[in-house]
Amino acid sequence: MAETEPAVKSKPRPIMRISLFLVSHSLLFSVVCCTAGIVALLILPLLAKNTYISENALMPGSASPMLSNDDASDGYRFYNRIMDLDAKTTIAGNEIPELIAEHIKELDGEVNYHKFLPISNKFHPLHFFLGPDAGIIQENFTCSSYGINTVGIIRAPRGDGKEAIVLVTPYNSTKITTGEALSLGIAYSVFSLLSRVTWLAKDIIWLASDSKHGEYAAVSAWLRDYNTLSFGDLKLQDEMCSPSISNGFRRAGTMAAALIIKVADSSMEFEKDNLKIYAEASNGQMPNLDLINIVNYLAVHGQGLQVRVEKIWSLLDSWWLKILGQLLELLGSVAKTLNPQWKFGIPVADYVEGSATLASSLYNQALGVPTGPHGAFRDYQVDAITMEISPKFYSSQRALFLLRVGRLIEGVVRSVNNLLEKFHQSFFLYLMTSPSRFASVGVYMIAFALLVAPLPLVATSLFSDASNSKPEKDEISSKSLPTFTSWKWLSAAKTVLFVHLWSATVTLLPYFISKIPNSTPSFNFLSWIELSLASFLFMYAIPGSFSSSSTTQPQRNEWALLKSVTIAAAFIGLCLMSVINFATAEIGALLLVPMCLTVLPLRLDLKEKPVRAFVRRACNVLLVFLGFPPIIFLLLKGALDGFSSVGFGDFWNWAESLWAWNSATYIYMCMVHLPCWVLCIRTLLHRC
Amino acid sequence: MEEKTKAGSKRTKLGFWKWAIASIVLRLILSYFSKYLNLSSRPEVSTPLTSLRRLAEGYWLKQLSISPYSGSMYHGSPLLLSILGPLTAKKIEGHASHLLCSLVSVIADFISAILIRATGHILVTAHGHSLKALGLDKLFKDTVEILPSGDIAALVYLWNPFTIISCIGFNTSPIENLFVILSLYGASAGLVPLAAFGWVIASHLSLYPLVLVIPVIFLLGYGLDAPPRKLFVQSNLLVGEERSKDQVGVKNKPIKTTNFAWRRVVLFFFWATIWITYVLILCAISMKDYGGLAEMFKRTYGFTLTVKDLSPNIGVLWYFFAEVFDFFRNFFVIVFHVNILFMILPLAIRLNHRPCFLVFVYLAISSMLKSYPSVGDSALYLSLLVLFVNELSEMKLSFFLFCGYVGVSLLSPVMHNLWIWRGTGNANFYFATAMAYASFQIILVVESVSAMLNYDRKIRKLCTTPL
Repeated sequence: MAETEPAVKSKPRPIMRISLFLVSHSLLFSVVCCTAGIVALLILPLLAKNTYISENALMPGSASPMLSNDDASDGYRFYNRIMDLDAKTTIAGNEIPELIAEHIKELDGEVNYHKFLPISNKFHPLHFFLGPDAGIIQENFTCSSYGINTVGIIRAPRGDGKEAIVLVTPYNSTKITTGEALSLGIAYSVFSLLSRVTWLAKDIIWLASDSKHGEYAAVSAWLRDYNTLSFGDLKLQDEMCSPSISNGFRRAGTMAAALIIKVADSSMEFEKDNLKIYAEASNGQMPNLDLINIVNYLAVHGQGLQVRVEKIWSLLDSWWLKILGQLLELLGSVAKTLNPQWKFGIPVADYVEGSATLASSLYNQALGVPTGPHGAFRDYQVDAITMEISPKFYSSQRALFLLRVGRLIEGVVRSVNNLLEKFHQSFFLYLMTSPSRFASVGVYMIAFALLVAPLPLVATSLFSDASNSKPEKDEISSKSLPTFTSWKWLSAAKTVLFVHLWSATVTLLPYFISKIPNSTPSFNFLSWIELSLASFLFMYAIPGSFSSSSTTQPQRNEWALLKSVTIAAAFIGLCLMSVINFATAEIGALLLVPMCLTVLPLRLDLKEKPVRAFVRRACNVLLVFLGFPPIIFLLLKGALDGFSSVGFGDFWNWAESLWAWNSATYIYMCMVHLPCWVLCIRTLLHRC
Repeated sequence: MEEKTKAGSKRTKLGFWKWAIASIVLRLILSYFSKYLNLSSRPEVSTPLTSLRRLAEGYWLKQLSISPYSGSMYHGSPLLLSILGPLTAKKIEGHASHLLCSLVSVIADFISAILIRATGHILVTAHGHSLKALGLDKLFKDTVEILPSGDIAALVYLWNPFTIISCIGFNTSPIENLFVILSLYGASAGLVPLAAFGWVIASHLSLYPLVLVIPVIFLLGYGLDAPPRKLFVQSNLLVGEERSKDQVGVKNKPIKTTNFAWRRVVLFFFWATIWITYVLILCAISMKDYGGLAEMFKRTYGFTLTVKDLSPNIGVLWYFFAEVFDFFRNFFVIVFHVNILFMILPLAIRLNHRPCFLVFVYLAISSMLKSYPSVGDSALYLSLLVLFVNELSEMKLSFFLFCGYVGVSLLSPVMHNLWIWRGTGNANFYFATAMAYASFQIILVVESVSAMLNYDRKIRKLCTTPL
């Protein structure tokens, strides 16, 4: 046996040889991979492809719009009546719904009111995982605290009532603005057209949602009641303060798509009317790209609107992005001279704009907070977008504006009406770099994969180094007898486990802190930090949780094992998060990977030059300093908005918004990022 | 999961009861809140065979004088229905009905842990004896102390998240595990009727423990786990020579018997027959009005073997049989099940001197290839693995496997969520985690078996080289 073993070892299988090679060169490999990952992220605007309509059945723009001037002027009259109502009376809240209901009835549509109560912000961080369910209605309320949604339904002449398209127009029933009234006017003109057409195969639901308690709350309350079978539908409607029409909760079929129509106040910034698309739902979920494509296609080619998606404005002026753009343009032109087939260069302006849009897209997805009422639909697997139209007109041209936007909506509805199945053909996972360009999951995943690829390699190399370097004991006995060397990692794993348990308590602490009445964000934030520290010290005091229990063992390589387990935990956490919410994982990896990979004990003596040692230590301290979530948050916020506006309690407000919106980012921050940061500090301060 | 193993021998020895009671308290607390955790609907936790919600359904059908097997709801044993059925319907002081069943699970887990501990003690004693017999005990004593593997294994069983989840997850796998462990304990303690009872009930409840008859026979016939038998013969000779040289007059008695104890095996089969008849009679009585035993066999074992229910679980069969063409179905059903049987014989020949370890290997393989696996199965074999912590101290890839198990068990629910709730993923996402899980199990089995064989080699080397 002793003779055969070396022979076997000299020629392992190719896959083993490759992995051994990679592990032995893990330093070089990790530097190359991390750099490549960051570069791949920066050139994403270059790699983005033009959008295209993937589902053939949609056929946008193939039919000429039927919305006539009459419909538009009807809508305009409706708008005027609402504005009159607003001017005349101090509204109790019932007048506008009654007006809308009256008009819908005139169009032979079915109508009902949906009353709902606001749901207070609750701490339920794991809620995103469980799927939508019925919320809890609070007990004491008055009639005026009710929000009243008005729901109008047209039954499709060619449909079987199994499918529906939803139009949503949020308005504030207590104080309606011109824009909201205009959006109601648009919806009314489209609705009046659709009540007459013969081609309709899906029911149309018009939800005039009462945004008294927030646009999102109204829509999500209606959706929740729409999707839960509630026996109390009728009873709820018959209560004392209901308006005249109380005829139960009306439903159409499953929703194919939903469009939220909003009209912003007029702006002189652009030369045309412009349409802004919001698509990010909770936890970075996006609607199917086809929906955005048809809106974009019809708006640009049909109605001549200018389409925009959100971007981070402050990035547009950044010098380094411009330099990078110039560099890439130069590279592109050089490549083109070498081979005319290579066309990857884009102009600087495009690059900068694409980057700003991409950054905003990444940030909004990473935040996990929906950017509008369309987010509520995505929780029920309905594709929805918010279309915010900012008109550029004088008040005389309102009817014309109604006509154009009405035709756009009609076109989209007609396209979706053609759909035979759910939206499934195009992408769900993508980042936008402009309204007509996107980076799909296959492209942006490369950046992330390159970034996290060094983690398992470095973990393996540290682990094998630490477990192979035997204590200098008598060679013979260690060779022949069981010494549990392959289980040494258990002590490090225990430390990591305890830190993760601690992070779970940190995650839950805000639940108790938020119960404190009348407290400022700064105070809450401070008490969060203090309680976390206290619980950390408490856990530290538990014997055997942190201290290296076996003091007899050589401590030399303990930090290496700890670092290895930390890196493994970070790797698992990042991969998990990349499945839940890619953007969070990408941003998290940018912060976490360099910190985890470079961290070395400060007191470690590598027998290197003093300058190099100093640089290494300074790098470690800097990365760990930046790795603390509040610090990086406040720094980024300051860099983007100016440092004068940054307050100490901002982080608390931000975190509060995360958990109130069931964002998985909160869980990631507290249960993956924070423990890894703590463990890095532990490695940094390790006694060698 | 395995953090307790680290804690060292002394502390676990002292702290066993403390930790065990703590785990029981944790279970009771969690089972009180299990309504909110909603684990019983997770595909990882409860399968069509083990779900207690299905059992409750079957019980109601039976109360209404309908066959409990009608409507493909319940597929377990009729005996379980009679015992656990009333518990699912009973409520105590307004609390939800799941509490009593959870209590049964907690008790089953606790008894299992105690039995594992007892088995571990027996194994450690046997380990020491066989080392002494080979004359290696002194050598081992100065460098490494023998860990109390029974205590560690019992604590790993109690604190394993898989066990805890399946305990509060409102299903019957804690009870099935209990009978497997009971059989193992009976066989290693030499209690033939108990071994037979455990084996018969375990096989009756979940069918796959049928294969455990081989290790149980080895256990009864050859005795407990020990280094290969021919070593004893050699070392007996060696020791005998030395002794006869050194001290004339001291009797050299054979320390380990190498012959097969046929009597106990026959006794085992006798008892097994008795228990089988008994169980079948009871089943026949309870199935009297609903189609008799044939119906029961069809609806329980038939359901298991033909993989009728293709709802997703952590195994690999559901996806395959959802995709396969109908006319190949029978062929592949046979192929998959013969896969388990194919591995039995070679392993039995190679590991016949370590029957308890063989139990672990068989359970791991069957939990990999069974038609409706759940995390309860892994909970069982992982704690059996820890019984051999002394022998497997050189096992490779342990950290890799640990990370793999953690990663897969976190990723699996996320993929399920992506597929079912969000609609952005699909079945392939979830199946990918199931395949990864199966691969990790394969690596675990391969690594542990090779570590065990290496250990045997090392013992042999130490025996043959003169000291």
